[in-house]
Amino acid sequence: MRRSYLGEFEEVVLLTVAVLGTGAYGVAITDELDRQTGRAVSISAVHAALHRLEEKGMLKSHLGEATAERGGRRKRLFSVTILGSRTLHDIRAVRDQLWDSISPQGLPAVSL
Amino acid sequence: MSAKLPPRWAERFLEIVCAPHLFEEIQGDLYERFLRNARLFGISYARRQYAREVLSFLRPFALKRQPRAYSSPSFLHPVMIRNYLKTSFRNLTKNKVSALINLFGLSLGVTACLIIYLITNYELSYDTFHADRERIFRLVGTETRGSNEETHPVGFVPNAVPKGVREEIAGLETVAAFHNIKSAVLIPNGTEKPKKFEEGKRDVSNEEIVVADPQYFAVFKYQWLAGNPKTALNEPFQLVLSERKARTYFGDLPLEQILGKEVIYWDSIRVKVSGIVKEWDKPTDFTFTDFISMATVRSSKMKESINLDDWEDIWSSSQAFVKLPEGTRPEQLTASFQQFSSKHFQKDFKFIPGLQPLSDLHFNEEYGDNYTHKAHLPTLYGMMGVALFILLIAAINFINLSTAQSVQRAKEIGVRKVLGSSRKSLVFQFLGETTLLTLLAVVIALALVSPILTAFQSLTPRGLTFDLFSLQTLVFLLSVTVTTSLLAGFYPSLVLSSYLPALTLKGQSALKGGQKGYLRKGLIVFQFTVSLVFIIATLIVDRQLSYIRNKELGFSKDAIVSIDAGRVGKSDILAEKIRQLSGVELVSMQWFPPMGLSYMMTKLKYTGKTEIETDVSAKIGDENFIPLYGIRLLAGRNYVKSDSLKEFVINATYAKVLGFQKPADALNQFLDFQGRKYPIVGVVADFHEQSFHDKINATFLAYMPRQAQNLGVKLTSKGKTMRDLKATLAQIEQQWKEVHPDKKFEYEFLDDRIARLYEKEEKTSRLVNTATGIAILISCMGLFGLATFTAEQRTKEISIRKVLGASVTGIVMLLSGNFLKLVFIALILAAPVAWWAMDQWLQSFAYKVGIEWWIFALAGLMAVAIALLTISFQSIRAALTNPVKSLRSE
Repeated sequence: MRRSYLGEFEEVVLLTVAVLGTGAYGVAITDELDRQTGRAVSISAVHAALHRLEEKGMLKSHLGEATAERGGRRKRLFSVTILGSRTLHDIRAVRDQLWDSISPQGLPAVSL
Repeated sequence: MSAKLPPRWAERFLEIVCAPHLFEEIQGDLYERFLRNARLFGISYARRQYAREVLSFLRPFALKRQPRAYSSPSFLHPVMIRNYLKTSFRNLTKNKVSALINLFGLSLGVTACLIIYLITNYELSYDTFHADRERIFRLVGTETRGSNEETHPVGFVPNAVPKGVREEIAGLETVAAFHNIKSAVLIPNGTEKPKKFEEGKRDVSNEEIVVADPQYFAVFKYQWLAGNPKTALNEPFQLVLSERKARTYFGDLPLEQILGKEVIYWDSIRVKVSGIVKEWDKPTDFTFTDFISMATVRSSKMKESINLDDWEDIWSSSQAFVKLPEGTRPEQLTASFQQFSSKHFQKDFKFIPGLQPLSDLHFNEEYGDNYTHKAHLPTLYGMMGVALFILLIAAINFINLSTAQSVQRAKEIGVRKVLGSSRKSLVFQFLGETTLLTLLAVVIALALVSPILTAFQSLTPRGLTFDLFSLQTLVFLLSVTVTTSLLAGFYPSLVLSSYLPALTLKGQSALKGGQKGYLRKGLIVFQFTVSLVFIIATLIVDRQLSYIRNKELGFSKDAIVSIDAGRVGKSDILAEKIRQLSGVELVSMQWFPPMGLSYMMTKLKYTGKTEIETDVSAKIGDENFIPLYGIRLLAGRNYVKSDSLKEFVINATYAKVLGFQKPADALNQFLDFQGRKYPIVGVVADFHEQSFHDKINATFLAYMPRQAQNLGVKLTSKGKTMRDLKATLAQIEQQWKEVHPDKKFEYEFLDDRIARLYEKEEKTSRLVNTATGIAILISCMGLFGLATFTAEQRTKEISIRKVLGASVTGIVMLLSGNFLKLVFIALILAAPVAWWAMDQWLQSFAYKVGIEWWIFALAGLMAVAIALLTISFQSIRAALTNPVKSLRSE
């Protein structure tokens, strides 16, 4: 199977979409990213990443209902596709496998 | 409220930049964040942040438009262009007649334009290449003689003026004088006989030799090939040659070796070559090739003919140019020139210097001289106008034919529109078709230019060549192509692209009823107006020219030859020898024939009741002059043979000027000429002595032996053929050879000499004739095309009319009548325009034909006849077809 590679930012965005579940749209994703990772991301960067992920087939989207808080404009709501899900799982498996293979002395100790 | 909104410009910007399919969500997200920012951090921060975020969306993904589901390729897509080309060619081959008409018309139009452009561009570029040309001026002036305060502008100066101006007037950078001289040229050749170059047109043209100040080369920059430009003309007996001339004189010698060689002018003035310059290769009036140093004049026998200290008289060969310092305007010098004039000219002869810009030199006929070839600016502008109108007529043909045929293409347009063509792309398609045709026309024109230029050499300025690959020509061709394409194609393309597919595909004509064809009719009227103006102009110009040719001149000009013997001397011996020949009727020693370019005015005073001093034209010849030219005596007698000036004969105009009722009254009165009194012994009838532009002057005839050194010879022409005349001329040449073994024999028939007076008019006539021909041809072809088309379109109507009993004449009348009406309207429009233009032209003639009404009638008749001829062929054919044939098939 050919694997699609994801960039780090793309991966985080994809994960955030999964975290938010049914309410994943641009502003919410940006806020969630901000909250979870502490990075100040620009909304346009998030949109660009969402767009790219949708092109890669890892996200799908539909337009939601019009809401008054946005001046009557609709949101585009994103959800993770099967391909997106599988990719995330693949990445996680590779990570886990790598973690498992690290010997106890392999990493300098970090006090949390 | 507005304070609660994001910046207006940022919203507009996002709307423009963002891809439509992303716009709503992005705008929503930004707005949501804006509202929160406003709540949390205040409105101004929110607004700034909003703007920042909008700008951050300048990313490829947001800019890129989503392809639409039903896309059509761009109208400039290669596939579409191929399609346009294909349909263009199919269309051209399908409508062969109209395509050929268009192509032919456009080619003619473009050719005319190109040739006229070449001519005008050539003439207008004369002497525009000099460095500092806007600072170079010719020293000209106005002269006044005597007490009557009559002033004449002159293009030359008294010989002493340039030096005076140089020394006395401040604020001139350089003053350079030169004199045109005529001379045969001798090149010493060791011990052998010197090589000789005769004076005159063939060897050494009169416009080539000048005696020049060294400053000449400071005013006009030449490229020096040999010699020192600083010292080349400073000393007496120095000579600068042009490269071509040096080659003519000395062959292929290296230029450096030519320096120091000797050249002889005026038989004995030996000068040494001190410099060689390269000729200018651009159009110029300064065609000099032999520059003799001015210092030579005072040190040689030249001083006998060129008096450098002459303040009293003025010769057309004395030229002077000045270069002003930067920033000096010529007007600033007017006062100094006035002062200069009143200081130096206190006697009878007055001269006020002035400045003529270099750019004026080639066009201003007021300032005469010996070397410039004047171009007539109004003629040039007239030619440009003619070119423009011819091109317009051709473009109109195109417009008319393509709008007329547009109905046939309605289906194609319908289909194209249904398949998704936009109006813009249709406009471009049709404009493209026009451009294709125009380009073809340009190619044809390019092929035609060279042969036409050779064929019309007498009409074009000499030295004109056609260089396709010069930038100017290419730019001109490009602009002609673009303008013509737009002119011809714009309206048809708008009409064609406006058709509604639903209507055209159902088979209805998309033309709206009321305004049908008004534009087309208007354009036909315009075409015929132009053609008619040309026809009327041709008729009037021809009439005037034939009037000039046939009007009684007051003297006889047949079989008279003038021989310029004065310049070589021994005329009396020659005259005696020629008189002996059997084929010669009479020989007169004369100055100039009665009529021609050369004439002289002088002052005569008559003291009767009052003193009358006037300018009188002088005709100088011996006692054979009046009988030889057959000038009619009204009263008195011819002057008798003598060896000095004794008696005067005057013409009737002069007698009238002097106040005599009858010519006979003038007899035995005395005229004061140069301080002495001479009796009037005869009065002759008026005869023309200048071109018909000028009125007949007061004239006297007398014998002055010093001037009367040329010969007029009347050959016996009765019962003789051209061969006999030639034989007589050969005998005369033999006599000449006996008297002047080493001089060339030159003669001119009087009628040729008179014809030369009207060279310009002959040119105008040929130009107008050609233009008329082309204009009529193109208009008629357009009319022919339209007639063909209407006849085809109305086949069914004609058939039904015939079935219902219409006669053939009736149908022909029906089809032709419409067109004739248009020609009629054109005549009404053309008549005043043509009348005005031709009246202007005729104003310049003192003796002219009237513009009579029948000329307009004749022109109208000709136009109607031509139009009828063009249309009737088609009309008659349409009227004669069997109605069954066209009605049977649907």
